Amino acid sequence: MKTLDEVLKNNLIGLHYGNRVLLPFKVDILKAVIESEIITDFSSTKKGASYCITDGFTEIYFYDYKILSEVVTEHEKIKLVIVEKGKDIFDFANHRKIALHVDDKHKLLISEINEDTLFIE
Amino acid sequence: MKKLSSKISFFLFFIFFANNIFASGSEGTENLLPNPFMVLPFAILLLMIATGPLFYHHFWERNYPKIALALGSVTVIYYLIFLNDTHSLVHTLAEYISFIALLASLFVASGGILIKVDKKSTPMLNVMILLFGAVISNIIGTTGASMLLIRPYIKVNRDRIKAYHIVFFIFAVSNIGGALDPIGDPPLFLGFLRGIGFFWFFEHIFVVWVPTLLALMTIFYIIDSRNKGEEKPGVEYTGKIEFRGGKNVIFLAIILLSVFIDPGIIKWVPSLTPLPFGIREIIMLSVVYFSYKYADKKILEANEFNFEPIREVAFLFVGIFATMIPALQLIEHESKIYGHELTPGIFYWATGSLSALLDNAPTFLNFLSAALGKYGMDVDVKQQVYDFSLTYPIYVQAISIAAVFFGAMTYIGNGPNFMVKSICERAGIKMPSFFGFLIKYSIPILLPIFFIIWLLVFYGKV
Repeated sequence: MKTLDEVLKNNLIGLHYGNRVLLPFKVDILKAVIESEIITDFSSTKKGASYCITDGFTEIYFYDYKILSEVVTEHEKIKLVIVEKGKDIFDFANHRKIALHVDDKHKLLISEINEDTLFIE
Repeated sequence: MKKLSSKISFFLFFIFFANNIFASGSEGTENLLPNPFMVLPFAILLLMIATGPLFYHHFWERNYPKIALALGSVTVIYYLIFLNDTHSLVHTLAEYISFIALLASLFVASGGILIKVDKKSTPMLNVMILLFGAVISNIIGTTGASMLLIRPYIKVNRDRIKAYHIVFFIFAVSNIGGALDPIGDPPLFLGFLRGIGFFWFFEHIFVVWVPTLLALMTIFYIIDSRNKGEEKPGVEYTGKIEFRGGKNVIFLAIILLSVFIDPGIIKWVPSLTPLPFGIREIIMLSVVYFSYKYADKKILEANEFNFEPIREVAFLFVGIFATMIPALQLIEHESKIYGHELTPGIFYWATGSLSALLDNAPTFLNFLSAALGKYGMDVDVKQQVYDFSLTYPIYVQAISIAAVFFGAMTYIGNGPNFMVKSICERAGIKMPSFFGFLIKYSIPILLPIFFIIWLLVFYGKV
């Protein structure tokens, strides 16, 4: 299992299929922004989004979209505030902001959000 | 959705058709006024814009273009078939193309500019940014100023940002700021095209503009001073202001110059009539294409540029422009009948309350027309409009101030309000709902200020 830093350093990719996103690391998600929708409630399995951490990856389902690649355009990103599994979730220093670029052939490009990008936790 | 919209359309059609037959009766085809029931599509659209994002968010997100088009089509077909009035439709289409060309070009050109302010967020710095935005909205329009400054404003405040920051930005930069000249806000530009002098607005509105902004900034300063945010230890600020995307500034300049490329201003500019657009709109739409094509991709990436905010405005306002035709015609009709009874104060409140919900440009024009009509003058005669603005400035002042200032009352009061909201939500900032904006901010903050303006400037004047 890779860590977030390894994934970012080696430019490893995630995957997306329809409304499902697969991240190649284990994280808890605190906030997600997709288009103009701000999601902080991950408890429902019908609306908004939910996520699940498995042995090999973290998967997220965005229930209000059928196919993510149709709604997240070229310069847009899905933005997440995450905490790597095992790290103290209550320490803000462990809160990381990442952006997911929905690429073709189901590839999901993962990058850390730099200070140029607007994203408020 | 298709089934639903066609059912709604049919239902509305049935009511209007039946009502029109009875209403026409002996009057025959002379009565070209729309049936008052034709205001319904507009009311429905406004209601859905207000309630959609609140109560049926995802249905609304997916279907607002269809709903806006369906309701707009009801009005268009009514005018085509029952009133046989193509003139109003073509005129509105021309205004819509002009409106969206200006908004889209400013939106795309400013999307390729990146301003970074590396300063610590303080209430005073925020006040300075808002005042700067208010001033430059008179140079690059409220849309241009909003698009240019909203991102750096959010970034400066990233550690302590709250919804009120954005609301005051909408108040000051996206609306009230742009009241000093015809470039600031479309209604003033319409007034300029009709004959009001370019500097008339500065001469007559500055005196109200300054105290209004000072009052707003004082309230903002008090609220912002109570927001301590979180101090990030070890963060150092260079105090630098970085500006990138210089070539898009050239595109902004082209847009601003093109505003004056109108046969009504420059005689040698050819009119493209009967086409519903002119050279100006062609230039602006060309800027949309070229400023996007040649923009620095890294800046577009950093600004997370996408067309959704302008697409949303384009669809919603095509519905608003179409469905508001009957409302505006009825207002025009009524205001001409009762024009002699209308005081500057009434013009102020009437223009203002309608500008908060309708597009403020045609609202401005209709009330200007009514005010001129009161003294037997015609809004279509430039010299008369010019004379009127000098002889009875209080009326033009009331209508101008109300049209611009009250646009800040709701998200739909002015084009940039919606765009700013959309950009903020994409940045993860939870914005108030339509009613939340109205009840928590506009009514308690703006309305008392607007009331004081009325009391001090227009009350008791005839």
